[in-house]
Amino acid sequence: MNDEQKIEKLKTFVSPEAVAYPAPHRIFVSVEPAGLTALVARMKAALDCWYVITISGVDKGETYEILYHFGDTTGSITVRTQIPKADPRIPSICGVIPGAILYERELQDMFGMTVENLPDPRPMLMSDDWPAGNFPLRKDWKFDRPAEVIPGGKK
Amino acid sequence: MKYNIPIGPQHPALKEPISIRLTVEGEVIQDADLRLGYNHRGVEKLAEEKSWIQNIYLTERICGICSHSHATCFVQGAEKLLEIVPPRRGVYLRYLVSELERIHSHLLWLGVAGHEAGFDTFFMYTWRDREVVMDLLEMISGNRVHYAINTLGGVRRDIDEAMKKKILEGLAVLKTRSEYYFKIGAMEPTFIGRLAGVGRLTKQQAMDYCAVGPMARASGVDRDVRKNDPHDFYNEVEFDVATADTCDVLGRTVVRIKELFESYKICEQILRKLPDGPIAVKAPRKAKPNEVVSRYEAPRGENIHYIISNGSEKPERLKVRAPTLANYPATVEILKHGFIADIPLIFAAIDPCICCAERAVDLIDARSGEQRTLRFSELRRMANERARLSPVQRNVEWPF
Repeated sequence: MNDEQKIEKLKTFVSPEAVAYPAPHRIFVSVEPAGLTALVARMKAALDCWYVITISGVDKGETYEILYHFGDTTGSITVRTQIPKADPRIPSICGVIPGAILYERELQDMFGMTVENLPDPRPMLMSDDWPAGNFPLRKDWKFDRPAEVIPGGKK
Repeated sequence: MKYNIPIGPQHPALKEPISIRLTVEGEVIQDADLRLGYNHRGVEKLAEEKSWIQNIYLTERICGICSHSHATCFVQGAEKLLEIVPPRRGVYLRYLVSELERIHSHLLWLGVAGHEAGFDTFFMYTWRDREVVMDLLEMISGNRVHYAINTLGGVRRDIDEAMKKKILEGLAVLKTRSEYYFKIGAMEPTFIGRLAGVGRLTKQQAMDYCAVGPMARASGVDRDVRKNDPHDFYNEVEFDVATADTCDVLGRTVVRIKELFESYKICEQILRKLPDGPIAVKAPRKAKPNEVVSRYEAPRGENIHYIISNGSEKPERLKVRAPTLANYPATVEILKHGFIADIPLIFAAIDPCICCAERAVDLIDARSGEQRTLRFSELRRMANERARLSPVQRNVEWPF
């Protein structure tokens, strides 16, 4: 299936303005968070998008943008969605694609989003003593190295 | 009676320390749980603070074995954002290093696989030959591991006729030696017997869990970025995507061996067709606001870098996904219903870096809580012991 055929198909799933084609083999589709899992399921069935390469989160100021990169035999399709920073909740796509679990857990750790219906929502990347409420990939997060305390050392 | 076996997480010699907790009943693994993040270095956050050119050297240090993969993946994307096109000669040299790196990585892996299967002669042979390709890489780039040959708009070093001749000679040596090893496989039924049937991952599982690289291809999923979503360069050379359908460690070995030959083929074509001209163009310092998805087939599977530029000299966001991460969910599935004794081999089959070093495994008795520490060598000895006692699978044939 070439790019044009994929775009035709995608336009039947979402409104035509939501499909962007910035470069050869690169198709971007915008979707509302509520319609995400349904779109992913339809793409998997109709466009052979069973392979999610990764999920990228981006801090856009007022919102978070989440990009689901899918790979197929002729390029990649990226599904993008935006969620408000005040209420960062996003449905999980693990029901459709079980292999997405590590990337969704990474979103929770790095941005403090809540991925709903995640089969295994434990923290993945951060250490057990990582202070709560610190999400490193948020733009306003700055790293302050805690003062080193040597047990028994001089005050 | 159930036991919990924690494997990992820390060993200073490991590139990627991970912790796997296994629940075993007798010798059979019932459940596996994965804990990551022991080596999380915050590269993505750091990349936002660095300029485009500095980020090449940062991304190169994501991985110690396929260092060129990440740098190339980043440079491919950054060049699109900076709106520059590298000259043909630069591109050819860049992918020449890519393929040589694939050869060195696969030879390393073959050695580790032989070692874990208890076939140490194979390990010594392949690692001796790996020196041939390491020397070639050193000659081209000046370094054995971090080649630092990429730059924005091309490569940093050129090759001359004498070097070209040496590379061809090296490839000829590697080709003859590789062919000899495949014959060894046919003459050594215990080696095949040890690999066959271990670590089964069905095609459906590979697809469900989004496995990549030789893991997926050994399960009959013929996905290779070099064919499916190639950089222009790969359209100019001829090669085949190596697959196997045995879905086990034997299949993963076969895929990597086949890929070695494809890489020799690609290298020879590169040197034959190598265009004349400059090797690099000057890159601007700033990139206009844009975004790019850059994909690259690393030795262990697909790399992806998603880069956003914001008009400044630093990227707004750099998202990196290395192939090993993508293979973890599938590995958990593989481990279930496998044997303890197969752990070293299964681990070796996904990523050579996990068990190429000695590491300690604690065996905890679930009822008494008593711990017994096993060296990895001990575990390997147990593995080889089991292989020795089990009937050799004589019906499996070496596919070469």
